[in-house]
Amino acid sequence: MFDHLPTKRRNILRALVAGALTAFVAPFAYAIGKFLSFQGTIGGSNTAKLSAADLTPDSPSKLVEIEGEPVIVVREADNSIRAFTATCTHLGCIVSYRPQMPGFYCKCHGGKYDVNGINVPGTRPPSPLTELVVNEQADDLTVSLTPKAKSLS
Amino acid sequence: MTLIDHLHLREPVEALKAKVVPRHGTSMWYYLGGLALFFFLVQIVTGLLLLFYYQPTPEAAHKSVEWITTKVPFGAVIRSVHSWSSNALIAVVLIHMFSTFFMRSYRSPRAILWVTGIILFVLILGFGFTGYLLPWDLTAYFATRIGTEVPKAVPVFGSWIVSMLRGSNAVTGATLSRLFALHVGVLPLFAFVFVTAHVIMTALFGSAIPIGRSAKAETRFIPQYILGEAVLWLIGLAVLLAVAVLFPWQLGPAYDLTKPVEPPAGVHPEWYFMFLYQTLKYIPEWAAVTFYTIVLIFWAVVPWLDRKARREQKSLLFRWIGILAIAGMAGLTTLAYISVAQEQGTAALEQTTTAHGSTDTTQPK
Ligand code: FES
Repeated sequence: MFDHLPTKRRNILRALVAGALTAFVAPFAYAIGKFLSFQGTIGGSNTAKLSAADLTPDSPSKLVEIEGEPVIVVREADNSIRAFTATCTHLGCIVSYRPQMPGFYCKCHGGKYDVNGINVPGTRPPSPLTELVVNEQADDLTVSLTPKAKSLS
Repeated sequence: MTLIDHLHLREPVEALKAKVVPRHGTSMWYYLGGLALFFFLVQIVTGLLLLFYYQPTPEAAHKSVEWITTKVPFGAVIRSVHSWSSNALIAVVLIHMFSTFFMRSYRSPRAILWVTGIILFVLILGFGFTGYLLPWDLTAYFATRIGTEVPKAVPVFGSWIVSMLRGSNAVTGATLSRLFALHVGVLPLFAFVFVTAHVIMTALFGSAIPIGRSAKAETRFIPQYILGEAVLWLIGLAVLLAVAVLFPWQLGPAYDLTKPVEPPAGVHPEWYFMFLYQTLKYIPEWAAVTFYTIVLIFWAVVPWLDRKARREQKSLLFRWIGILAIAGMAGLTTLAYISVAQEQGTAALEQTTTAHGSTDTTQPK
């Protein structure tokens, strides 16, 4: 467009145009990036409620969903009720509770975790399951995706 | 060899560089076609973005739109821009259509160009109609109930058309799926083809000079005309953003299929369908459908009917036809809005006289 101008002025003008175009496009690119990178599920609940009475010695564990995440709630041998993320840290399968192990087992590639959700060395999972906060009000349990602080576990 | 040579595009590129646009007393109207293209592009971009979050089921549709406008960053603006821009698009297309009509731009060799324009006009109204239901709010639901009932009056094929649109006896989730498929799949495909044809033909044939005028001068297409159009696009964008932010497009209460309620008082379609809505009050559906079908076909074949224009003469008859068309649409639209206002007025009155604490049936919980 600026072919008729001397080289120096032409370069300055071209740089100005390029700068202006970038400044114009940048906010739109930012907004679209923000819009598309949002995470969340519509109508997803951020807690799961269940009754402690449902966790019996015969079926000591239950899978619940929080914001699309599977969470496993277990009554362990010492009668304590604990909740862990049920997503296997290996490749994302859903783990199950095995009282006889005792601990968590992943069918997909034979991954194992102990009762504290710590991955058993020698099996595939590279890291432990995250323990979550369980709120006990008599028999009513409320689980959220809040990790239980390390010091407490 | 440059990429252009590889693609064998040297000739068209040179032609585009050499292209000039005639300049005369009414040549500013040429820019409206480009502005329509701008709003069309805005619709594609914002529409694609909304598709990332929208969920086309009766249970989730309203929630997902609410989710977009309340939770997703910039979602409120994007949705508002999509709605406002659709209205702007229809308005600009209407003005563009009538301005080219009065300039008799449909003269040979542009007859087919005019026809593609009419097809695009119908497609754009189709976008408006199918998109209207998608938020699944009260007004959208009732407007679609009525809107999908009208084609029943089409001779012979009536009930078939209705069942094709609805996919079930009434307006249900099946209807939502169908209108959604039309809105984001079928119509865009056709619109893309016809917009491309329309733009390419305009580039090939150039802009028509109105009868009796001669080009005083010429504007080079590149860069002058393009820059002028760019200025208009930027103004369009600025106005669109300002309006979308200052007047966010509203979302009414959700319609729950399992709990039927009365329509809100003065339920009516969007402004661009108001002339049709008003017509239906005066004549039976079949008459209205037949009448507007004939009008549309007539409008599409105007290039062949206006024989005077083919001899480069101004036809007084066609000028009056154009004026009549605008006056008719404007008149019917005005009447429609007056009656809607009256209905809302009486409804408000009923509300105050009957109810102390009685529940408003139009606001389902
Ligand atoms: S995904 Fe669980 S062990 Fe591989």
